[in-house]
Amino acid sequence: MSEVKRKKSISRRAFVAAAGGAALASGISGFPSIVRAQRGPVRVGILHPVTGPLAFSGNQARAGAMMAIETINEIGGIRSMGGAKLEPVLGDAQSKPDVGAAEVERMNEAGVSAIVGPFASGIALATTQAAAKHNIAHIVDVGVVDQVVTRGLANTFRFGPGLSKIVDTAIENLVAINDGAGKPARTVMIVHEESAFGTGMAKVLNEKLPGRGFQIIETISHANPTRDFNNIVLKIRAQRPDIVIPSNYYDEFVLFSRTMAQQKVRPKAIYAILGGAASSQRFVKEFPDAAQYIMDCNHWYDPRNPVAQELKKKVEAKGLYFTYELFLNHECVRLLAEALERAGTGDRAAVIQALASSGFANHFMPYGPTRFVNGQNQGAAPVNTQVQNREIQLIFPKEFASAKPVFPMPAA
Amino acid sequence: MRRQLLAIVAFLAAMALVPHLVGSEFWRNWVMMALFYALLGQAWNILGGYGGQFSFGHAAFFGTGAYCSAILHVHYGVNPWIALPAAGMAAGLVGAFIGFLSFRYGLRGSYFALVTLAFAEVLRILANTVPITGKGVGLLIPLDPGAANMQFADRTGYFYLILAFVGLALLLTLWLEHSRFGARLVAVRENEDAARALGVDVFRTKLAAITLSGALAGLGGSYYAQLFLYLDPGIAYGPAISVEALLVPIVGGMGTLFGPLLGSFALHGVSELAKLAFGEAAGLDLALYGVLLVLMVMFMPNGLFGMGRTTLARLLGGGRDA
Repeated sequence: MSEVKRKKSISRRAFVAAAGGAALASGISGFPSIVRAQRGPVRVGILHPVTGPLAFSGNQARAGAMMAIETINEIGGIRSMGGAKLEPVLGDAQSKPDVGAAEVERMNEAGVSAIVGPFASGIALATTQAAAKHNIAHIVDVGVVDQVVTRGLANTFRFGPGLSKIVDTAIENLVAINDGAGKPARTVMIVHEESAFGTGMAKVLNEKLPGRGFQIIETISHANPTRDFNNIVLKIRAQRPDIVIPSNYYDEFVLFSRTMAQQKVRPKAIYAILGGAASSQRFVKEFPDAAQYIMDCNHWYDPRNPVAQELKKKVEAKGLYFTYELFLNHECVRLLAEALERAGTGDRAAVIQALASSGFANHFMPYGPTRFVNGQNQGAAPVNTQVQNREIQLIFPKEFASAKPVFPMPAA
Repeated sequence: MRRQLLAIVAFLAAMALVPHLVGSEFWRNWVMMALFYALLGQAWNILGGYGGQFSFGHAAFFGTGAYCSAILHVHYGVNPWIALPAAGMAAGLVGAFIGFLSFRYGLRGSYFALVTLAFAEVLRILANTVPITGKGVGLLIPLDPGAANMQFADRTGYFYLILAFVGLALLLTLWLEHSRFGARLVAVRENEDAARALGVDVFRTKLAAITLSGALAGLGGSYYAQLFLYLDPGIAYGPAISVEALLVPIVGGMGTLFGPLLGSFALHGVSELAKLAFGEAAGLDLALYGVLLVLMVMFMPNGLFGMGRTTLARLLGGGRDA
């Protein structure tokens, strides 16, 4: 990064300082420049499903985006724009694509420069398209389905990894873990939710796992919501697979793992891919026995990063959980702020251009500097976590690992 | 009939001016979505309002229309304009199938409602399973803007398209109100046995109503698919559409020409008011929406149209009921 860019971007130190205390932060961020020439706020659309079946994830996502906005504003706003503050324009997609698209129209009227959200793939497909019509930059926070960024929409940028990348990484890591333990696992059962991401994941796994030495005994889909997993777990008990791969949203994941624990079904591994709760502090805290040794390939932060550590403390102090929805949205807002710094304007076309040329390296995800090709951040990748003694440990990739994998799962 | 026809023409003419008079894209979109739900409500109204057959599963018709249009376009390269009537016909056929099975065996009232709900759910599960619908991943219609592909560059094209559908639904309902078929349908609603005794073929009348209703909802499904260019089983066959389709005429006035229109605009207006009142507090707007909805149903059992008609009659007729 050039010296000029370094001065303009929000530094890691400044971010840590802001999290620690506003007084110190204001000193680092160059407070006098705000006094000199502060301009009007830059409006940012924060769009998530904060009601409906995806409300937990949506509220977590909104909290992450709002915390980033607060911190950015505390440390001086967008300095290249005279300290302009970020002003959130909140939207609720109500877990429905058409409502999400209508909210984009509202945000367009409100004059937003960009939109961050909207968590679910189905909603993202509608909102990115609606935003494209108004040339509004849309940073997709999660929305993993590949088609979100393959429709040629110049306004759409996905910070995190897409489904293909996640499943490929998950398979590579599963093979590595199994090989490392002397290949004790051969058979697999997949339990997935029935919407776009779970079904897409199951399809890719069915195509690729047999070629990597695993036999898929059965693939079971379930509706959203599903509140009784007894029959599914009974099937698993009867089939006795070595590995169970669940892929579902938070509530279903919790209920599924609890039922597994209640029925004392213990395969060699529960290896989640985008497991809704497998990498959730809330799940680990509330159901530590059910969570123990569950592995997950999911979005995760670099645990060595001080900004992430500070944010985690701040989040927990607020009584919230440090989930992937929260920290991904936090970083998406920081990505946008960095682009605004370079653009020096809230003009929509300029923001899109700044995002397209983004080399944002100051984030705390294990991605490296951002580089968008057709809207997809090329460095974005998932990691593998495992719950070990009430802590979520990062087990893959090795350069970020905080613990070694425990596999096969020890007998109860 | 002449006055009703004039009212329809006046309404359509007023609506046609909306894209030119309303500067806000948000409000244009709002009117457009209100018209969309009015179309679904009018479809339900033909069967539920005029025919007295309460369906809890209009998503079965909506989803079939949406998937038919999307599948023909995505898998077989059929132009969406050509796929549109096919979508209506497919949804009408699904209506005829459900109607045949239900009415043939004399299902009425809550039993019929449950059967329609079950069919919508079966179709949702089916759409989750068969490859042609894209299973749970859904179907993404390729982005190819152009009126020839029914993908309009701005919302004005979509606005006029839904306005045309609503106009068609209103004219169809107007014809229904003044036709022998409509009279038979109302007779079936009021008393099936009496209607049968008078020589009305109850089975055929109800079957025709559900087919017509399904076809209209199918047109709505095709429109939705082209508007959002993405479908999955939850969107197409989920309960949300079924609920919207029945709420709109219940609030506006079942068995009336303009009831679904009034209901749709009122419901969406209340929803927007609730959002304005509670804006950024997650869920409070929906709670207020729910409370207002309960109050509307409690104090306006004949819907907004019925209340308006009664009030007008009282004002004009010195207290006589309409």
